Amino acid sequence: MRKQMVCGVLCAAMVFGTLTGCSGKTETGGKQSSVAQDGGGSSSGKTYAVITKSAGNPYNEKIAQGFQKVIEAEGGTCIVKHPESATADAQVSVIQSLISQGVDSICIAGNDENALQAALEDAMAAGIKVSCLDSKVNKDSRQTFVNQAGIKEIGQALMEAVYDISGGEGDWAILSATSQATNQNAWIESMKEVMKEEKYSKLNLVEVAYGDDEPQKSTDQTQALLSKYPDLKVICAPTTVGINAAAKVLQDEKSKVKLTGLGLPSEMAEYIGDDEAHSCPYMYLWNPLDVGSLGAYTSMALVEGKITGKAGDKFKAGEMGDYQVIEASDGGTEIILGPPFKFDSSNIAEWKSVY
Amino acid sequence: MAGKSGRSISAQSEQNWKKRILSWEGVLVLLFLMVNLFCMVISPSYKPVNVLREMPKYLTEVFLLLPMAYILILGEIDLSVGATVCLSATTACLAGNAGVPFPIVLLIGILTGTACGLFNGIAVTLFTELPSMIVTLATMIIFRGVAEIALGSGGSVSLKNNQGFRALAGKIGPVPYIFFVVIIAAVIFTFMLSKTTFGRKLYAIGSNRKASYFSGIHVQKIRLLVYSVAGMMAGISAMFLVSVLYGANTTTGSGFELDAIAMAVFGGISTAGGKGKLIGAIISAFIIICLRIGLGQINMNPQVILVILGTLLILAVMIPEIGKNVKRKQL
Amino acid sequence: MEKNSLIKRITGSREASLLLVLIGLCIIIQILSPSFLTAKSLQDMVKNNAVIMIMALGMLCVLLIGGIDISITSTLAVSGMAVGMLLKYNVIHNTFLLFLIAILIGAVCGATIGLVVSRGKVLPIIATMGFMYIYRGFAYLIAKSQWASAENLGDFKNFALEKELGIGLLNNVIVIVLLCYIIFFAVMKWSRMGRKIYAVGSNPEAAAISGINTMKIKLIVYTVMGMLSGLCGALSVAVYSSAQPNMLYGKEMDVIAACVIGGVSMSGGRGTVAGALLGSLILAVIAKALPLVGIDSIVQNTVKGVIILAVIILNVVAQRMMQKKNLKRREM
Repeated sequence: MRKQMVCGVLCAAMVFGTLTGCSGKTETGGKQSSVAQDGGGSSSGKTYAVITKSAGNPYNEKIAQGFQKVIEAEGGTCIVKHPESATADAQVSVIQSLISQGVDSICIAGNDENALQAALEDAMAAGIKVSCLDSKVNKDSRQTFVNQAGIKEIGQALMEAVYDISGGEGDWAILSATSQATNQNAWIESMKEVMKEEKYSKLNLVEVAYGDDEPQKSTDQTQALLSKYPDLKVICAPTTVGINAAAKVLQDEKSKVKLTGLGLPSEMAEYIGDDEAHSCPYMYLWNPLDVGSLGAYTSMALVEGKITGKAGDKFKAGEMGDYQVIEASDGGTEIILGPPFKFDSSNIAEWKSVY
Repeated sequence: MAGKSGRSISAQSEQNWKKRILSWEGVLVLLFLMVNLFCMVISPSYKPVNVLREMPKYLTEVFLLLPMAYILILGEIDLSVGATVCLSATTACLAGNAGVPFPIVLLIGILTGTACGLFNGIAVTLFTELPSMIVTLATMIIFRGVAEIALGSGGSVSLKNNQGFRALAGKIGPVPYIFFVVIIAAVIFTFMLSKTTFGRKLYAIGSNRKASYFSGIHVQKIRLLVYSVAGMMAGISAMFLVSVLYGANTTTGSGFELDAIAMAVFGGISTAGGKGKLIGAIISAFIIICLRIGLGQINMNPQVILVILGTLLILAVMIPEIGKNVKRKQL
Repeated sequence: MEKNSLIKRITGSREASLLLVLIGLCIIIQILSPSFLTAKSLQDMVKNNAVIMIMALGMLCVLLIGGIDISITSTLAVSGMAVGMLLKYNVIHNTFLLFLIAILIGAVCGATIGLVVSRGKVLPIIATMGFMYIYRGFAYLIAKSQWASAENLGDFKNFALEKELGIGLLNNVIVIVLLCYIIFFAVMKWSRMGRKIYAVGSNPEAAAISGINTMKIKLIVYTVMGMLSGLCGALSVAVYSSAQPNMLYGKEMDVIAACVIGGVSMSGGRGTVAGALLGSLILAVIAKALPLVGIDSIVQNTVKGVIILAVIILNVVAQRMMQKKNLKRREM
């Protein structure tokens, strides 16, 4: 009977034993990090990490590629980390792993605005420069945010597209990702804000549906929209999975309803065109490679001390030109890449092979 | 079911030290040491300080493992614990933001978990024909759904005042509080299972529910209790998770249930019920956690890590079986 | 007298009470949303839930022999992703050949599980949990962070649009669903194989003694499950015109739920093809109806869970009432 207790105590001892047993090595680790801190100036020899939202998604992959290319061109070491699943929980583990490795900067696309705060504060306390890109984390957990396009600009562009495609009046609907998606919610809010203008008064937003970024659910939701609102003219899907599923439904059914939104050119090439046979006349997106590159330049500028993430800081992002840190609406700061890019029948063939 | 493996209670009594070392638990201890050695070799940053700092997030799953082991020993399964974590974290955060004092926030979180567990317990004891897997599958969707409703359109809540939870994430020296809480909980759960009549009853019910009913065990009462405890532990797990996340969102705790089951199974607990020791499950939890931390530090593709864990899981169950066959042939 | 026995037969079967639930659900939805019961809407529903409906058949067999398989959607992702990548890199374009490859990949995946379960004596839930991680990992590795999109899929995606298999009346996907159900219905009801599966599930020892090779049956059942998952991999690529490594992540639970709702016992030996059909139809109706009837999307998951719980509890209550009635009759 006692043996089990002994076994238990033994195991506890093992845990502590192995942990304390190798504590002698801590000093070397300390040295490593102190060396890293002395470095300064040049970006070579530094380690830059980028954390994406999830693995197996070409959009995230392109961001990581853009990031990696710039860092490696400048002689730094780049770590690309995909979390195990698209959750903030999984990203916390990734951040803590990077703190252990003693990287110099972390650039993250957050799966949740607030849930990463504790982990990122730990990172900043350990002297790591923290920025985010693509999808922001709250102002206390970042030094600055590389925004792919201003929220207002996206809302304006999408609203304009809906106005243009519908002919200025009629019913339209939004097909979003999950009801919690930070980016999508911000864009939808911004669209609603723009819609208050007199010009859009004849447009009637009938529903905001959520397809949870699952093809099956997005398909169900699109079909439901079509049968619920026979007078529907336009669907706006500001999410890559949603727009894809909706485009497929509309095109297969040869529906008169047209589509716009935000989507990857390589995914959407089949559906973009001006004629009746195509379901999406045009859509918007930014270049994820550029988002990644700007994230990399920002990380480097932060590590080299050229910027601190305060509004008004200016830096040169290689061939991309000069950028300035500005105040963001949430009280933090951000760097805006530029206006969203329009994809239509004239340029889709060229872009579909790029990303 | 009992008697199929050397890990059942009947074979427990007359074992010598040699057998003890050769037992599955002995193998696991050895494996634990090897994993740690392996991680130290492959990753220069695999140091106690770092491992202890990375551990709290993973340790929250151990709280779920302990009652999950009980449930598996009963021959059942609870898929809803991850969703329970989500709901408890949500209610605690919302309560905290409403200005409720911290100790009561903790209480609310843990009570929410217990209520979820109780709900499961009532459902499976009231409708004994229903397999626990399907009941908890439905409640998994419901609990997470309720959390989604509570969180509203934002889908995430952030603590306005995280002082209390910050304190909960504190450390004694380099060792975080959660480590001690986990050890205490593990000792209690192990003691209850191996040293009390309650533990014996669990094994009995898992081996043969009908027989134990006829021999006077309050089967349904015990099942109700175990499910409620599972909910309570999910609540505790949620509180520590909030201390890591300073908030909650709709994906909080997703996949925890499968992780907990995998840890238990790796530790030699049979999902068929009536077999397995908690100590094995606890060691295997630490093996998996250390392996994850180590492989994470060398930036291995997370999908490859999953492939490795999946292979290990299957091997862990197959090797004892093969070993037994070999022994039988030798005899 | 004959009429009486008919009523008894209807009230006596598990499937009948489910059918009533299904009809009740449909009536409620039809009242709330008149566009529900149209030919097009129903076809859409079957098409969009074809994957769950087909996999429920395999799961039925797996549950019948007392097993479980939670790796099915990972198998589906591997074969679907393989099809997507073959098309993307212009290796094969023949639709038939691609389906064959997908089914073969599924069969290999399923047979591996079958071997581990039958020869390795690993409990099914553990073995398939391990393979769930392994196969999902493979799907990501095959994909190399790429998706196959509509443009890459060429003619393959038209399969889900055309009606050539249905002689111009029914969509191909629906025809495949129907075919699967007809084949399984026949096999489970009339063939020796079907009997053996039931025998292994209700009493493995007795089955083994009476000369059934239980290992072989297990292997076959898991292989068939794999083949169906492979088929569904190719189908879902065609239906959604897109192959992503995380496709149908977590949906294995829906498949299991469909079977259990349909009255398939998780301890083996009890369950019918009709039950699997009704169970998956109920889930399909819920998925289709929730957005239609205008329930707020935030509440939809909760409603789904409550309906599932209510359906299985209703079923139990109905069973109990029936048993009581039978007992009473015996007393008299």
